[in-house]
Amino acid sequence: MAEMVLSQVANGLVLGFLYVLLAIGLSIICGLLGIVNFAHGALFALGAYFAIALSTQFGWGAVVLAPLLVAAVGVLIEVVFIRRLYGKEPLLSLIVTFALSLLITALTRLIWGAGGLPFSPPEALSGFLVYGPLLITKYRLFVLAATVAILVALWAFMNYTPYGRILRAGSRDPEMAGLLGINLPRVLTGAFALGALLAGAAGLLAAPLLTVTPGMATAAVMPAFVIVTIGGLGSFAGAVVAGLLVGVVTALAVQFFPEGSSVAMYVLMALVLLVRPRGLFGERWERFE
Amino acid sequence: MTEQHNQDSDLSATDASTPDEPQRSGLSRRAWLATAGKALAGGAAVLAAPAFVRAQGEQPLNLGLLMAKQGVWTEQGEVIANGVKLALDQAGNQARGRRVNLLWYDEPNPQSAQQNMQKLVEQDKAIAVIGGTNSGTSLAMSSVAMRTKTPYIAPNAAARELTGSSCNPYTFRVLSPTPVTCRALAPSLLAIGKKWHFLVANYAYGQDIQRSMSDLLKQSGGTIVGADVTPLNTTDFSSFILKIRQSKPDVVLLGLPGGDLSTFLKQYAEMGMKGQIPVACPIIGDSDLWSINVDAATGYYGKPWHFSSPGLSPEELAFIKQYTAKYGKPPADKAWIGWFTTRTLLKAVNEAKSTSGADIVQSLETVQMGDSSGPAYFRPWDHQMLRRWTVFKVKNHITDKWDWLNQVSVVPQNTADLDRLYGTRQEIGCTMAAR
Repeated sequence: MAEMVLSQVANGLVLGFLYVLLAIGLSIICGLLGIVNFAHGALFALGAYFAIALSTQFGWGAVVLAPLLVAAVGVLIEVVFIRRLYGKEPLLSLIVTFALSLLITALTRLIWGAGGLPFSPPEALSGFLVYGPLLITKYRLFVLAATVAILVALWAFMNYTPYGRILRAGSRDPEMAGLLGINLPRVLTGAFALGALLAGAAGLLAAPLLTVTPGMATAAVMPAFVIVTIGGLGSFAGAVVAGLLVGVVTALAVQFFPEGSSVAMYVLMALVLLVRPRGLFGERWERFE
Repeated sequence: MTEQHNQDSDLSATDASTPDEPQRSGLSRRAWLATAGKALAGGAAVLAAPAFVRAQGEQPLNLGLLMAKQGVWTEQGEVIANGVKLALDQAGNQARGRRVNLLWYDEPNPQSAQQNMQKLVEQDKAIAVIGGTNSGTSLAMSSVAMRTKTPYIAPNAAARELTGSSCNPYTFRVLSPTPVTCRALAPSLLAIGKKWHFLVANYAYGQDIQRSMSDLLKQSGGTIVGADVTPLNTTDFSSFILKIRQSKPDVVLLGLPGGDLSTFLKQYAEMGMKGQIPVACPIIGDSDLWSINVDAATGYYGKPWHFSSPGLSPEELAFIKQYTAKYGKPPADKAWIGWFTTRTLLKAVNEAKSTSGADIVQSLETVQMGDSSGPAYFRPWDHQMLRRWTVFKVKNHITDKWDWLNQVSVVPQNTADLDRLYGTRQEIGCTMAAR
């Protein structure tokens, strides 16, 4: 039994990294722009579809362009819709992004059809490793490594580049940033594009694991929201810890109480919110108080 | 229409105006009004047409179709509708010498399915309705059929109640119910081994499979070494697959609907389990296989029909040819079921005494639709279509882009056993209300 628990925990941790990647983009958009982006799942699905389209057209190497294309879509969305929502009621951004999500999903269906598209990991990454009770597939290990790399890059970008500092400053105090001569609208467009880029990257990495259908948007977005809530809005560390927690809790629920495995993360969220309403790593932010 | 009149008005504006002409805008407005007037008159003529036709006593017959246009069932709805439309095209969109109109509405959930069916019956005067990608909406439509006395055929519902405890005189069902598909599949699996691990989705369909299959397994002295219930729309099965790996069964018996089945197979192969322990599911759709890579496909599955089965009839071959030409891939089982259901309904409508609900129902009870698989007809006392069921195994080496399956068995071997395969009156538990 102990072996089985160990094997489930390891599996849950690996799955957790995929969740982290999903949640981090959502967390950035929420934290920096104050927008609850319901279209995050649709952008995630778009990343998967772009990856498939690129790989069939230009071969495996081209898939790295998929997140960039999603970021471009993000820029378009920000300029046309999201820009009008800053500082407005949160409910408004919820409704607009929800509509956007439906629109993007419908367009995906129109272009690529309602059925699933086949997509497998490249030859070099297929196969699995067994260490005693642990079984981990090479592709999941790759996802783990890629997620860690993305997180490190993101952290460095936010803390050690002027652009990252401007982003954080602008989101804390837009007025002061404007007075200092920073072109804020462009900064905010960049922040949304960054969130979209991360959603696209998650979609690209998840495509070989999940079934790629227009419906994957909805399935993906719920865990992401739960993780952002548990971790605390806008917190990197929070998203990472919460993502891994949700992965492990779900895996253990499958082992001991399979019927409840889909509810497990919501129970976790409820417990965390009871003890700490702003989430595990949530800071006191002026704009949310 | 709008584009047309814009073009026209632009043309007249350039024709009639010079730069210094003061009346330019007036002229163009007049031109616009003239075009709009023409358009309106044209529209009126179109609107008036049905009345004209009606006067000649050739009012078209309206056929209702309720298939998903959104949500998780969209693909199935689309493919079934493709089959329905092709059958109507082949019939020249005619029945009883009258034109047939197909009206297709959505069925996003049971409530809306009922509302849309009501609309089809009351507002559009549909003489019969084909509908339901799944058991939930089909059961909902079935009660409207009874209340409004409208002949209703469920092509794609597997829940046993539809022609069992919830049966009614106006409801017919084409797909074989879950217990039948389980009885058909079980012998092939028992031949492999008698230690089974169950993995079923947490709703009626999955539970029905678990119930039927565990009965069959126990009857033949087998044991259940593991049984897990998965939430519907599970995106990651890896933790469940680890449990299968741990329980070391001879067979993994799945009760997963389309999308979940694809995801499971993909991850089963990813975790190196394909080829280690055989998997099986009583029903699979071609689309479920086509949405994963060839190298992930494996297992034993049941299907009502397959486009490459031996001995297909000339009608079936013509259907395959026309469908492939139109959609660029061979017809999936769902396309066939839409096509077959529509042909059945059209034949019954043609043979009925009148287009009244009662007469069409009576005709459906006697219509014979025998095809390459043998006889096919609705059993009068429960309105379940009796037709042979086929079990397939995924090929070891797939070479064709679309054809991944080898036929294992056609059940029952002897068509005289059809009635027994589909269950006795006592097992079915259908008490038909008065029509």
